[in-house]
Amino acid sequence: MENRPLEYDYTVAKMFMLTTIVLGIVGMTIGVFIAFELAFPGLNTIFGHTIAEYTAFGRLRPLHTDSVAFGFTVSGIFATWYYVGQRVLKVSMAESKFLMFIGKLQFWLYVLGVAAAVVSLFMGYTSSKEYAEFEWPVDIAIVVVWVLWGVSIFGLIGIRREKSLYISIWYYIATFLGVGMLYLFNNMEIPTMLATSPIGETNIGDWFHSISMYAGTNDALVQWWYGHNAVAFVFTVPIIAMIYYFLPKESGQAIYSYKLSLLSFWGLMFVYLWAGGHHLLYSTVPDWVQTMGSIFSIVLILPSWGSAINMLLTMKGEWQQVAASPLIKFMVLASTFYMFSTLEGPIQAIKSVNAIAHFTNWIVGHVHDGTLGWVGFMIIASLFHMAPRVFKRELYSKGLMAAQFWIQTLGIVLYFTSMWIAGITQGMMWRAHDEFGNLAYSFMDTVNVLHPYYALRGVGGLLYLTGFLMFAYNIYKTMSSRPVEESELQNASPMGA
Amino acid sequence: MNFYEYAPYAYFFLIIFLVVGSYSYIYHLYTKRKDSSGIDYEHYSNMALKDDIDDTPVKPMSDEKEK
Amino acid sequence: MFHWLEKHPFLFSVGVFVTIAFAGLVEIVPNFAQASRPVIGTKPVTLLEQAGRDVYIKNSCNSCHSQLIRPFKAETDRYGHYSLSGEYAYDRPFLWGSERTGPDLHRVGNYRTTEWHENHMMNPAKIVPGSIMPAYPWLFTNKVDIDTAYATQLTNAEFFGVPYNKPVPTKDGKTVVIKMAKSVAGAHAMALAEAKKVAAKMKNQDVKDAVARGEVPEIVALIAYLNCLK
Repeated sequence: MENRPLEYDYTVAKMFMLTTIVLGIVGMTIGVFIAFELAFPGLNTIFGHTIAEYTAFGRLRPLHTDSVAFGFTVSGIFATWYYVGQRVLKVSMAESKFLMFIGKLQFWLYVLGVAAAVVSLFMGYTSSKEYAEFEWPVDIAIVVVWVLWGVSIFGLIGIRREKSLYISIWYYIATFLGVGMLYLFNNMEIPTMLATSPIGETNIGDWFHSISMYAGTNDALVQWWYGHNAVAFVFTVPIIAMIYYFLPKESGQAIYSYKLSLLSFWGLMFVYLWAGGHHLLYSTVPDWVQTMGSIFSIVLILPSWGSAINMLLTMKGEWQQVAASPLIKFMVLASTFYMFSTLEGPIQAIKSVNAIAHFTNWIVGHVHDGTLGWVGFMIIASLFHMAPRVFKRELYSKGLMAAQFWIQTLGIVLYFTSMWIAGITQGMMWRAHDEFGNLAYSFMDTVNVLHPYYALRGVGGLLYLTGFLMFAYNIYKTMSSRPVEESELQNASPMGA
Repeated sequence: MNFYEYAPYAYFFLIIFLVVGSYSYIYHLYTKRKDSSGIDYEHYSNMALKDDIDDTPVKPMSDEKEK
Repeated sequence: MFHWLEKHPFLFSVGVFVTIAFAGLVEIVPNFAQASRPVIGTKPVTLLEQAGRDVYIKNSCNSCHSQLIRPFKAETDRYGHYSLSGEYAYDRPFLWGSERTGPDLHRVGNYRTTEWHENHMMNPAKIVPGSIMPAYPWLFTNKVDIDTAYATQLTNAEFFGVPYNKPVPTKDGKTVVIKMAKSVAGAHAMALAEAKKVAAKMKNQDVKDAVARGEVPEIVALIAYLNCLK
């Protein structure tokens, strides 16, 4: 044993790859189901009236958002961290028993937290704040998992051989700090069991229940400061960390401009946090907060496009790889969708556009072209790149990958086009007046008109889910496909036909 | 003076500071090209490209720690 | 010049944290004291209304319904006066929502009645043809959790100074006192008394029987809450 050469240890990465795929399937399946519920309300009771309470849209919606955000995406972040972190710091998890223990502990606590979250949300225990629905016991579990991840990040950095920190590590550190800060402040809540009645009774009612520390407008302000930046630090920052590692590595091309990546990092860090106010335009928060949110959203185009262009230009002179490799296709389309949604977002944040777009399905469309196109594709690509290396086997099927790519791309296009049309139609109909100054449409008119778009969106989601199942199958089969040599793993991933 | 009177001044000077700060960062990056230890920034891309455990680090930790 | 920041993970992290925390400090903190002042006419919710609010949250009604009327003619025509910051002073958590799959509910108490809600919750498509809202029959059988609602009221009063048992100014220049029970038993009696008033206007025999037996179905609390949104 003494003389065995040191190798990277991907045990924890493998564990989180599993949860990425499983929770991805769960979250997306629920998503497709509730999408069809809006088109065909009869589906609310398809599993029988006795459990209709648990399959109604309202009960399932937080489950969908939380399982794709905190299940699929966060698992993906952890999985890639436990892979990329070791490699760019040139240190193996096998070198530290402590870090290995922390990694495994983090995984099992995470699984426990997910189980508690799923059960409690099904039961209807929710704080009602979007993407922060978990009640306080689950919140505490999440914070512990997060702190363990921090220990793992800084522990690995502490024993590194490479003195400089690669840009991906910067983004992982920022993810850790950003989500930590946001999550803590937004979930400040008081468990109601702490209250005492005038005659001295304590522990009244449900121990799981709590109320927010902030009230009304303040609560909204904190929530959307969180809500917007959870998008920043879960759906943007760590995904950039992934692409800055996986795209150069898979293509064998150095980042187009490392300097630009540093610059856009600081730009993104500073600007992103201001933009939360754009969720509250024309609400009761102060005007200057709204204006600030609007302006900074526009400014945000600069650092976002700085990163996006840097990614695309990394392929300069090597565009034939996009045609040749489905894996590169995923990553290039991901960065294209990143450019696209970071342009769409600022447009929606302009006050007069927001007056039409807010509360409509256009917002849903915007979120999904970011999450399906950018986040989903990038995590899928990362796992495809990791699989041959952690299993030491070639990817099962290139053909399946290519088919998956096109099916999912079609799904995304159907999704966002239908939601655009739906959203703008809704927005325009709500505000339309007839020649006498009366409202031109009843609310029901605006619901009826959406039916075909809801159905189309459901189909788009179903296509994406189908692709995701193909992905899961491909990874599963990779575990038993042809073993490969170390030399085949330098850049482009080995793929079977 | 209360907070609301201070705020615009603070805001003004902050903007000046940030503009100067970020432009000098850009200027620094693109004129010096190399960081204080003499490594071209663009070489840092190799941290991803040459990331096997026995590859030479772009900038190793000090020798004492290696032993 | 800047490289010291990039070489030291600790200093780097501090730098990142300062950069990202800054915006929050500037945007959120200054507004806190101002936005928590109630406008005249804003009352804390009663016990049954609080229980109804919990039912509203439990079923994530806020996934599809907003409670925020923006200051546009089209919205004030449709839903009533635009929302004011002070009206939310006692809302923990806030329930503005982010989607209008269904209409806004911030002033639904002004134009819908107990009977309407009762029929609508049982079968929305029957009352509003084409409605895509699911039916909520379980609200008629599930019993509401009075204890937790009471604990919520206590927490609001104890930790956040919400004025229960104190005079609150109303729009007509008078004052009103929203009572809070002294004990769990008292709370149950109080909720039942409120529930009887709502149930008297309802038609569903099961609900009436349950209230007569001293139980409070979720629907009764939810309707009480929706009626108080004005």
